[in-house]
Amino acid sequence: MGNLVWHDLSRLIAITASLYTVWSGYWGLFYRKFFWDFVGGILRNPGGLQPSPKVIGFINVIVKAPVIQILAMIVGLGLLALEWPLPLFKGTAIHRSMPLRIIILLVQASLTVLYYQGTNAALYSLIAAGAYTRAIMLNETYEEAKSNRGQTGAA
Amino acid sequence: MGESWFHREFLTPRRLIFNVLFYGLQFFWFGLGWYLQETDEKLAALNALTWSVWTSRGAGLVLAFLAGLLLLPMLRNVIRVIRPKLAWLFPADENIWFHRQVAYSMAFWVMVHTTAHYVNFINVERTQVRTEYALQIHYTQAGGITGHFMVLIMVLIYTTAHRKIRNQCFEAFWYTHHLAFFFYVGLYSHADGCFVRDSTNPDYIPSFPFYSTEHCLGYESWRFTMWPAVLYFGERMYREYRARRSTKLSKVLVHPSGAMELRIVKPSFKYTAGQWLFIQVPELSRFQWHPFTITSAPEDPYVSVHIRQVGDWTHSLGERLGCGPSVVAAMTKTAMKGVEKNEDIYGTRGEFVELDSGTLSRPLPDVRIDGPYGAPAEDVFDNEVAVLVGAGIGVTPFASILKHIWYRQKKGNIGSLRRVEFFWVCRDAPSFGWFQTLLQEIEDAQFDPNFLRINIYLTQKIGEDMLWNIAVNDAGADFDPLTLLRTRTMFGRPDWKSIYRRIREAIEIGQYLPGSNAQLKTTVGTYFCGPGVMAHAIKEATLQHTSKNVIFKFAKEHF
Repeated sequence: MGNLVWHDLSRLIAITASLYTVWSGYWGLFYRKFFWDFVGGILRNPGGLQPSPKVIGFINVIVKAPVIQILAMIVGLGLLALEWPLPLFKGTAIHRSMPLRIIILLVQASLTVLYYQGTNAALYSLIAAGAYTRAIMLNETYEEAKSNRGQTGAA
Repeated sequence: MGESWFHREFLTPRRLIFNVLFYGLQFFWFGLGWYLQETDEKLAALNALTWSVWTSRGAGLVLAFLAGLLLLPMLRNVIRVIRPKLAWLFPADENIWFHRQVAYSMAFWVMVHTTAHYVNFINVERTQVRTEYALQIHYTQAGGITGHFMVLIMVLIYTTAHRKIRNQCFEAFWYTHHLAFFFYVGLYSHADGCFVRDSTNPDYIPSFPFYSTEHCLGYESWRFTMWPAVLYFGERMYREYRARRSTKLSKVLVHPSGAMELRIVKPSFKYTAGQWLFIQVPELSRFQWHPFTITSAPEDPYVSVHIRQVGDWTHSLGERLGCGPSVVAAMTKTAMKGVEKNEDIYGTRGEFVELDSGTLSRPLPDVRIDGPYGAPAEDVFDNEVAVLVGAGIGVTPFASILKHIWYRQKKGNIGSLRRVEFFWVCRDAPSFGWFQTLLQEIEDAQFDPNFLRINIYLTQKIGEDMLWNIAVNDAGADFDPLTLLRTRTMFGRPDWKSIYRRIREAIEIGQYLPGSNAQLKTTVGTYFCGPGVMAHAIKEATLQHTSKNVIFKFAKEHF
C-alpha cells in the first residue's frame, strides 16, 4: 500500500457523515419517528405503527419534541466546523486532537441512530471513528501550520 | 485562475453549450420522471403520497441517466478510436473531468432521491397504503437494500477518490473504485423489489427479469443503462487479453540521472508518437497499472519508457532490476568523475549503463503493457512550422515526437514541415538528465542547422555564485555549461508575445523559410504540453499574432 494518511481519509468520511447528520436532522423535524419503535410496536390499519409504551421516553424526545434531532444537528454542525475547519479552529490544539473527534463522532452516531432518518449517518460516523482510531494506532499527527514555509516560486 | 466563475462557466461558448445540455438534460429527465408518475392512472395509490413520490421517481430517472453516462468517459479504447473523428465535437482528453462532473451530479440527485424516499416510506407506514413498516421497505426489500448499499459504496468511492487521498495512496483509490462493480450490480437490481406497482403485492415471475412488467411499472431504465456497463466490462476483458499477449522486457538502461529506461519488445503493440501506456510488473503487484509516456518512436524496434524512481512502486521496481538508489548514486558519482576526466570534445553527462540480464543474479521480470492511449501527434507534419512547447514533466511526450520527426527526416518524408522550434521550459534541467542526452543525440544528428531549433528556458531562481559561473565560464565555450547542448540555456520565463512576433516577422520578410514565397500562407502549429496557465498565455500570443499570411494554430495536448 502507498502512504495512506488515515486521518485525511477519515476527515472526508466524517464530513460526509456530519453533512448527512445535519440534513437528516432537518428532515427529522418534520417527519418524526423513533427508529427502533418497531420493537414491541403494533402495526394498525388505519393508524400506522403504535409504539410500545416501554419506549415512551424516546417517543417524548423524538416525536413529541424533536430534541434528539436538534441535538444531532448541533453536534453535526460542530464537527463540520472542526473538520472543514472554520478559521476559528485552524491551528488550535482542538483541531489537532483525534481522540476528541472520535468522541464527537461516537456521540453523533449514538444520537443519529435513534431517529428514523439518521441511521446511515450513524453508520458513516462509526466508519470515520474507526478510521481515526486506525490513525491514532499508526501514530499519525497533524502537520504543523504551513505558514512558516515559503511559497514556491516566491522570493 | 484570473477569470471569474461566471465568465468560465457561461461566457465561454463551448462550456455554455455543455452546461446547458448537461444540466438541462438532467432537469428534463427529472421533469419527465415526475410527470409520468403524477399522471399515471394505474399508480393512483402511490400518488396518494404526493410530491415525495413524484420527486423520488424524477430523481431516480436522472440517476439512471447519469449512471449510464458515468462509464462512457472511461471507455478508453473506444475514445482512442473515435477521437480523431470527433475531436472537434468534444474534448476527448477531458474524459476524467467529465467523469467527475457526472459523479458530482449523481451525489446531488442521490440526496434528492434518498430524501424523497425517506418521506415516502414513512408515509406508507402512516397511511398504510400498503400494510407494512417503513423499515421493511428500507431493509428487507430489494430497492431499500440495494439503495442503502449503493450510497455506502458511494461514500467510500468518493472519499478515496479525493485528490489528496489519490496522491497519497493510489492503491486505496484504485481498489476502492472497483467497488463500482457492486454499485452497478445494486443499480441494475434496484427495481427488482417492484416498489412501483399497481398491485397489492409484488408480482414476481420465475423468468428474467423476475418481475412482471405488467404490474411492476418502473421506468425499466436498466434496459438502456446496462449497455455502457456491458461495453466497459468488454473493454476491461479486451485490455486484459491484450496485456497478456507476448511481451518481453529486453533491456534495462540506467541513466546517470537515475532514470531507468525500459526497452520492451511487443510485436502486437502499435502506437504513434506522443502516446502513453500502462505498465504492470506482476512480480511487484498483480493488479497495479502505472501510466508512462512512451519515449521511443514508432520506428524503433522496441517500446521504451523512462522511469524515474520517485514513488514506492518505482522504487521497488528499481530494487528488483538491481538499480536501487544506492546503485544510482554510485553511478552518478562515477559519471561526474568521468565528466572531469573526459578530454573528449564532448562533455557528456556520462554514458548510460546497460543492465545485462546475463550478469544479473535474477532474470529480468515479466512486464505487461496496456495501451496505447492519448493523442497521436501525426498532424505535426501538416504545418510548415511546428512549435513544440514542453513545460516541466510535460516534456516527456516530445521525446517520442522529436525522435519520430528525426526518423522521418532521415527518410525524407516530413510532409510540409520545414522547421521545428522546440521550447523546453523547466525549473531545473538537471533533473531530466536523460532527456538532455536524447536532445544531444538529436541535435548532433541535424545536418540542416536551421531545421530544428532547441530553446531551453530555466525558470528556477539562480544564486549569485551560479550567475558568476555562467557569466564567466559560458563565454566562448562550445557547449552550454548547464545542459551540455550547443544551444544556450535561457533564464526566466519565455516572453511568448515577442517570440511569436519574431516568428511572424521573420516569415513575412521571407527570412525564416528560405525559398518560400511571402505571398503564400504559412501555418504555424503550436503543440503544448504542460500547466494550464502557460497554455493560456501561449494561446493568447498565437491569437494576437495571427495575420493574413501567417496562421498560428494552437493545440493543448494531454498526450
